[in-house]
Amino acid sequence: MATPKMLRTLTGLCLFLALSACGVNSLVVEGSYPSPNIRQIPLTLGVYYDEELRDFTYVEYSETGKEEYRIASGQTHMQLFNSVLPAMFEKVVVLDDLASAPAQQVDAVFAPRIEEFQLALPQKTHLDAYEVWVKYNMRLLGPGGEYIADWVLTSYGKTPTETLRSVEAGINDATVGALRDLGSNFTLTFGTVPEVRDWLASQQQQ
Amino acid sequence: MSSADSVSRGTGRIAIHACLSFFCAAVLASCTTTTVDEFRQGETGIESHESIVILGRRQGSAYETREEFVDCVGNRVSRGSRGIRVIPEQEFIDAMFPWFEPRTAPLRTSDLQALMEEEVVSSKIAEYGIRYIVWLDGQTETTSRTGSISCAVGPGGGGCFGFGSWEDDSNFDARVWDVSSFANVGTISTDATGQSYVPAVVVPIPLLARVEANACNSLASQLQQFVNGD
Repeated sequence: MATPKMLRTLTGLCLFLALSACGVNSLVVEGSYPSPNIRQIPLTLGVYYDEELRDFTYVEYSETGKEEYRIASGQTHMQLFNSVLPAMFEKVVVLDDLASAPAQQVDAVFAPRIEEFQLALPQKTHLDAYEVWVKYNMRLLGPGGEYIADWVLTSYGKTPTETLRSVEAGINDATVGALRDLGSNFTLTFGTVPEVRDWLASQQQQ
Repeated sequence: MSSADSVSRGTGRIAIHACLSFFCAAVLASCTTTTVDEFRQGETGIESHESIVILGRRQGSAYETREEFVDCVGNRVSRGSRGIRVIPEQEFIDAMFPWFEPRTAPLRTSDLQALMEEEVVSSKIAEYGIRYIVWLDGQTETTSRTGSISCAVGPGGGGCFGFGSWEDDSNFDARVWDVSSFANVGTISTDATGQSYVPAVVVPIPLLARVEANACNSLASQLQQFVNGD
């Protein structure tokens, strides 16, 4: 015979299943990023992650307009830049605010911003892959906040669908792929952005 | 029940299991056809202190070479008396970051030559002792799906009934680049096809053709001979 404790457990389980079937799926993207194997620039860089980047969350809506997936990727973006920038520059200082840059004696301040995030799910595209596109606005400022360079970078990542792989794992892997793509593209093209190239040349002359 | 009866029943069960296993193995083995082609463009050979790295091509938008297939070929190439030291794919890509990512990896041997002019790249390749870079490109496609299986569960139990079948076709190319001469020294291609069946009378019995595994085995043994210069 069912005891009151068993009934309570069963009711709780049913409620949990019902709620989890209807609610939004939250996902915090997690990944690890290798340090780039490149020539280092002998300068000190300040890096400023604004609140928008730190807390960046993308919401994917269903066809009926309901929230389907809530994907938080701000922390993993910071993790990527914290892995890539120290390999690119002799010294990197993470700034709490832009005003503290002169006191930290940095040569420039890098402030990345996510402009757009797109997700393609296999159940919607009918392709056998999860895909993520991200568009960034990269800004390089002088220690006093003056403009040095401002350029757009895009990144793309995909991961194939697999039996027994959850949707969350597929989204996570595709996002990490897009971030690796950003890291490789950023490190290899940084010195080729015309304004950055001119600034680097001026720094070498000093 | 006497102990002699018990031994006799045990022997009978073993014989039935052995017959079933043999039948299954025969069915599975007969389902796959594999063809391997080798096109040699230069001399090969490898010293005991040298290694190779096997990388999957992932530039295409339509498909990407599966990591599991690359690992399978790498594991088999490193086995046996003529085994070759293989650097794991992910370890190499991470160590060479950002030079061997899907968007930045060299597509031609001339790109590799240009890449090796970067001191950070050439010193890392030398550190690993890499003599050959092998690029794997391909996929397994499933076609000709036919049949259907229905399953039902009731208070008295459950079961499935029906029949399903499909064909798998694995096509993979391995291009071997000599790091010392920046030349493509050869290409090995493998094509494996096989039909899988799932008859279901109460319990579904999958008779799966191990198409990709056979493609991996054939490609790996040919690649091992090719790199060793046999």
